[in-house]
Amino acid sequence: MQNTLLNQTKESLQLSPKFEVSACGVGEFSVGHNNSNNRTMKGNNGYLVTMGAPSPRSRPACTCSNRPGSVRCARHGYVVPSERMKKRVASKEILRRALTPPPPRRCEKRSEEIRFFMNDSDTTQLATTYDKLTCVGFISSIVVSMRNNTSLARKEERHIHMGGANITSSLLVFVFVVVNAAVSMANFLAQFQSIKSTSDRLVISVEDVSDLWPAVKPAFEARLPFKQGSLNNKTRNPVLVEKLPAEFILTTDSRLRSRFPQEQLLFWFREPYATIVLVTCEDLDEFKTILKPRLKLIVQNDEREWFIVFVSRAHPANDKASAMAKKVYAKLEVEFNTKKRERCCKYDIHLPESNFWEDLESKIMECIRNTLDKRVQFYEEEIRKLSEQRLMPVWNFCNFFILKESLAFMFEMAHLHDDALREYDELELCYIETVNNTGKQRDFGGADHGDDQAALLNPGNKALTQIVQDDSFREFEFRQYLFACQSKLLFKLNRLFEVASRGYSFIISFSKSLALHERILPFCMRETWVVTACLALIDAILSNYNDGLMAPDIEKRFFHLLGDLYSLARVKFMRLAYLIGYGTEIERSPVNSAALSLLSWPKPAVWPSVPADASAEVLEKEKVILQTTSRTKPFGIQRKPLPLEPTVLLREANRRRASLSAGNAFETFDGRQGITEGSGFDASTRMSPSQKVPPSSIPRTNSSPGNFDGSIDRPMRLAEIFVAAEHALKKTISSQELLKSLSSSEEFEQKYLELTKGAADNYHRSLWKRHGVVLDGEIAAVSFKHGHFDQAAKSYEKVCALYSGEGWQDLLAEVLPNLAECQKILNDQAGYLLSCVRLLSLDEGLFLNEERQAFQSELVRLAHSELKDPVPLDVSSLITFSGNPGPPLELCDRDPGTLSVTVWSGFPDDITLDSINLTLVPTSSVDEGAKALQSSTPNVLHPGRNTITLDLPPQKPGSYVLGVLTGQIGQLRFRSHSFSKIGPADTDDFMSYEKPAKPILKVLRPRALVDLDAAVSSPLLTNERQWIGILVRPINYSLKGAVLYIDTGPGLEIDDSHVIEMETYAGVSENDDNKVQKDGAQIDSLNYEKKVERLTLHNGKIEFPNWASDTPSIIWVLVRAMSDMLSRGSSSVTTRRESIVDAMRTIALNLEFGVYHNQIFERTLAVHFTYPFYVTTRVTDKCNDGTLLLQVILHSEVKATLTIYDAWLDLQHGFIHNGQTEGRPSSSLFPLVISPTSKAGILFSICLGKTNGEEDRKQQESILNIKYGISGDRTIGAHPPVMDESTKVDGARQELIFKNAITLQRPVLDPCLAVGFLPLPSDGLRVGQLVKMQWRVERLKDLDEKEVPEQNDEVLYEVKANSGNWMIAGRKRGHVSLSPKQGARIIISVLCMPLVAGYVRPPHLGLPDVDEANVSCKPAGPHLVCVLPPALSSSFCIPVNS
Amino acid sequence: MIVCVAVVGHQNNPLYIQSFTEADDALKLHHIVHCSLDVVDERVNNPKKSGPLLNETFLGLLYPIENFKVYGYLTNTKVKFILVTTDLDVKDADVRNFFRRFHAAYVDAVSNPFHVPGKKITSRTFAERVSTIVKSFGLTSAV
Repeated sequence: MQNTLLNQTKESLQLSPKFEVSACGVGEFSVGHNNSNNRTMKGNNGYLVTMGAPSPRSRPACTCSNRPGSVRCARHGYVVPSERMKKRVASKEILRRALTPPPPRRCEKRSEEIRFFMNDSDTTQLATTYDKLTCVGFISSIVVSMRNNTSLARKEERHIHMGGANITSSLLVFVFVVVNAAVSMANFLAQFQSIKSTSDRLVISVEDVSDLWPAVKPAFEARLPFKQGSLNNKTRNPVLVEKLPAEFILTTDSRLRSRFPQEQLLFWFREPYATIVLVTCEDLDEFKTILKPRLKLIVQNDEREWFIVFVSRAHPANDKASAMAKKVYAKLEVEFNTKKRERCCKYDIHLPESNFWEDLESKIMECIRNTLDKRVQFYEEEIRKLSEQRLMPVWNFCNFFILKESLAFMFEMAHLHDDALREYDELELCYIETVNNTGKQRDFGGADHGDDQAALLNPGNKALTQIVQDDSFREFEFRQYLFACQSKLLFKLNRLFEVASRGYSFIISFSKSLALHERILPFCMRETWVVTACLALIDAILSNYNDGLMAPDIEKRFFHLLGDLYSLARVKFMRLAYLIGYGTEIERSPVNSAALSLLSWPKPAVWPSVPADASAEVLEKEKVILQTTSRTKPFGIQRKPLPLEPTVLLREANRRRASLSAGNAFETFDGRQGITEGSGFDASTRMSPSQKVPPSSIPRTNSSPGNFDGSIDRPMRLAEIFVAAEHALKKTISSQELLKSLSSSEEFEQKYLELTKGAADNYHRSLWKRHGVVLDGEIAAVSFKHGHFDQAAKSYEKVCALYSGEGWQDLLAEVLPNLAECQKILNDQAGYLLSCVRLLSLDEGLFLNEERQAFQSELVRLAHSELKDPVPLDVSSLITFSGNPGPPLELCDRDPGTLSVTVWSGFPDDITLDSINLTLVPTSSVDEGAKALQSSTPNVLHPGRNTITLDLPPQKPGSYVLGVLTGQIGQLRFRSHSFSKIGPADTDDFMSYEKPAKPILKVLRPRALVDLDAAVSSPLLTNERQWIGILVRPINYSLKGAVLYIDTGPGLEIDDSHVIEMETYAGVSENDDNKVQKDGAQIDSLNYEKKVERLTLHNGKIEFPNWASDTPSIIWVLVRAMSDMLSRGSSSVTTRRESIVDAMRTIALNLEFGVYHNQIFERTLAVHFTYPFYVTTRVTDKCNDGTLLLQVILHSEVKATLTIYDAWLDLQHGFIHNGQTEGRPSSSLFPLVISPTSKAGILFSICLGKTNGEEDRKQQESILNIKYGISGDRTIGAHPPVMDESTKVDGARQELIFKNAITLQRPVLDPCLAVGFLPLPSDGLRVGQLVKMQWRVERLKDLDEKEVPEQNDEVLYEVKANSGNWMIAGRKRGHVSLSPKQGARIIISVLCMPLVAGYVRPPHLGLPDVDEANVSCKPAGPHLVCVLPPALSSSFCIPVNS
Repeated sequence: MIVCVAVVGHQNNPLYIQSFTEADDALKLHHIVHCSLDVVDERVNNPKKSGPLLNETFLGLLYPIENFKVYGYLTNTKVKFILVTTDLDVKDADVRNFFRRFHAAYVDAVSNPFHVPGKKITSRTFAERVSTIVKSFGLTSAV
């Protein structure tokens, strides 16, 4: 299709030679300049476009050589004055005319009319005429619909109004009609690209009116790049731009002059953004006449942003000149400054003003900003219009692209990278939409040599002209180009993360596009491209990367993107390697399998076939295949290797071969061999070549190359596929580096490691630990292969830790054997053992039983033979244990016990343990170091559940949980920390620790387990053999085998010759009640069957019979309380002095019981012993003849009936029995029965007398002897004492003697003489008045001869008186005669005179010779008499007058 | 086609993992599920980037891998559901719907009084239900 444009302007035709430019060799074009007023354009479709020109009059063109001359400048419209003219020699009028500007245009206010004429005949005509002419330009404002002629015919004429379009006139001067989509601005692409590459900074034009530029240039250029400026971005928001590069170019410079107007518009971004008019003038006149009009002429061109720099050359010393310069400048300001904007500034060459540069910069910036705004607006407008037509069929992407990219490039030049990026993004979106929407089959691209190398970072990889096709670009190249532009901007913006993220998704999506077009692309182009793209992107990013610039979370994501890139490259690289036969080098790990087996094979239209001359290579490959033995796994683990291929390669390749119709021959072959299952690679390698070839095909002989010719008809063998792929890849891959990496397995491995490491490192840095660690495992596999077991073990350990930490057992089972193998080789016995244990503790389904047995035998072998030092090992996952379900074992304090613990063994076979120990951990206290319990059962653990019993020494009170199970297998010291669990051993149980530990043992706080008490509380007989009952009452505790030690205290002895009786205690206790209720009557009766058993005492201990273990029982022990003191009676008048202590005896009891006699109960019993009677005496009557009736009262002290058979009294000295009774009461009294706690009395008649017996004299006390018998029950208290077997006579009356000492006292008072104080006169005593005191002394009885002194008839008397109170008149002392006969009496009178008044003691008559005991006084004690004061007496009178 | 579904406990331990491939290569799917936990962790730890709603359970596409897609879902109890599919054009709504049904099945399974929380799900009913859900994946959207 040809496009023509007719530009019918006079001027253009005249001046056309000036403007003709050959554009890219496509054609020529001719354009009119902006002064054309009438344009008619005609396309080959017959559109004639006329356009009303805005200008009413044409302006002649001029040349602009910046030289004086007469030809008008095409750009400026005026003649440049010559030097001579400048010097004001020329006529002013001439100058005025020459410089007169055309009247200003108001294009904005006018509407432009574009008229289309649709005429087919015209089209043909014009087409032939302007065959070679091509006019390209903007048609953005024209909406054209030209799908078919019928519709066009109807629209003969169309008026399109562009009213209100805010486009300056000059922009619309050229109207380009793109008549057909096939012809576009694509022709400009080359130019566009070259412009882009040459102009990279903003241009500021300098209009050097006064030839000043050379002088000021250095100073001006020193300001570049501009430090800081504010520009508006696309959304009209101010953006600070730093270091804005710019270039000053003179307007006369060829770079500016040589441009053509249409180019100016198309590539407007390279036009000057500001115009500096440099002027100087030293004369007002000159200013007025020459400079001002000239300036006016220059600046009248509205679309330029200009300002005037007035350069003052006046030396500061030259006042006159400076003053003139100032004046001129002032004029200039008046003339050109407006209120809104100052357009002038003054530059003093010699002494620039301080703020001049800032001023200048701000003015330049303002200009740039305005220009930029204007241009952005223009471009936007154009783009918007184009966008509106996007759905039109005629729409041309190239136009859009150039506009969009121009805008983007302009932003880029202005350092508004963000906006530039946005333009590219929009462009990309638009492009993708175009690609997707148009149903047209387009050329995808990518068929050139070298296209396999991604060019996603190199925008200049291919010239745009190369990739343009029809009206659009080829997708393959163009998308890469766009991404390259974007990434360039992103790198400039230092947004590495965005590069990475966009890059990654770009690669992914592009790879998908490649997949869509895979049939037309070279073999494996897609894989190659992705590998190179990823690597290129990584390189570019890493070279721009500076540490610490990104926010931490962004950085994390950045690294994982890098990791993704590496990993993507790695996968594709592995795929390539697999295709050429390095599949055996690739570890068949889950990660590789996941990546490769889910990745489909390349789908070329035809699978490459073996080149004819490659038989040697095929043989070589075949040999390699045959030699490869698949790696055997350690421990002889049989496991199907994971696939690395989505389907069997053999089948896939053959199916895609051109010579075979899909799936016929090979299908049969396939079905017969059954290759489909599992890994095709391995399956095919295992088969012999002869098997692989179907019988129908020609039998292959290895050496014959001729067979390869025939191979076109038969399916390829694997080796052939590899060779074919290798050859094809060599054709595809242009990158030498990649080729080298695939050239040998060593090179492959190196690259593979590099990629894997890169991915792993970056994943680690991004904290994607799982990704990273898994890839570490891949590196480990390579290290392992090369014998670097140390590194391999380290990495494998990490992988294992990762998997086991989260319980991914299936994955763990894959890696752990490798780790074990490493450790085995490294002789890391502990590690190896641990690995074995871990292998054993994995799910049972993960390994075969034989494999598990192999693990175990390995472990046992190592433990028993090879280890020198004991190795500690944690087997928590393998041997688990727990207490038995149900309530915990409860033990009383200090009781030992046995603990039964369930142990699960994860070993596949029985395993013999040398020992098992278990610790208990108290739940309450932490300080207690738990002691290990030793197992008492044989230590063979069967697979599964075992029960072991442990001896449990006494523990402190509290509850205990199971602690650690330890044990030994040979030199292996294992320990298991698992906590209690109920139910069957889940293999993943060790994962969950959330279950609270169940107490296994409770040791109760100390409590009374048994009670020992005396069975009898009432006293027993002293000095007799009495049964002491010891009540043993177990308190919910068995007394089985208990031993009771009895230790009697002082004064008590056990009769150990006698048996000890033990009987059940019949007393009803609460327990018994319970039993009755629980067990019913039968048991009840059984329980109450009384058991009596005779025991013997050995070394002071009694062993309990079994029946007594749970029931209360009484032990009867025969004792005798020794007391050598006689019981003493007391007088009934005195109160009884109780002496409990004397009667108490203690028995220390020590009961050892419990299973191991560990429990000890000690108690000291106090037993009360007493004599049967307590005796009190009373003299009931005292006869005149000296006979005393002595009453003896017997208090029964025991709870038993006492029978008195006889009683007699042995009297002490001074007393004798009265009569002939011999001290015995009358015999008829006996036997006297005394009930418990009652009294009985016996009277004895005694009198004072003398006995002559010598021994009687010594006897100070009387002894009461009572012969008695006792009938009592031992369960109550005192009872008949037990006789010796020898002495005991059945039925004989048992008579006991009770002796009691009684102290008899002679009567205390035995008066012989009675002294009576005779009453005083009744009128009372007065002081100073004599009074006669009289005493009567009477002899009461005859005195004993012995006692009576010689003077029988005389009694010595003595009056004692207080001399202060009494004055005695008469003899105080003297003898009076008194007849010794009974009844003789005499009165002794003494005159006394009281001296003091008051109650005073009267004088006392004493008989010094007579014992006081023999004197009875009356009154008996001292008494007082009342003495009155003296009576009034004259002698005491005192004369009144004196 | 859904190739694998998995339930991963809150300690990142696998509770249930079921692959739907014919070949005996479930291990690779284990690997994929396991590695996807990295992404889940990241999303959970940076909730502001994971989505507009904090209580959004659906985590969306975890992996923009070429050949398969991994989707995630996080319950309130931090149990994760992972779905691996080889369909490359999957509608989000389908996946959401799938996860919702899967979640319901999971809740029923763990509500079983004999199920020990945190232990692997061994319920056969659950497995059957899951396979039904998997089979019907993508079909519901057509209706």
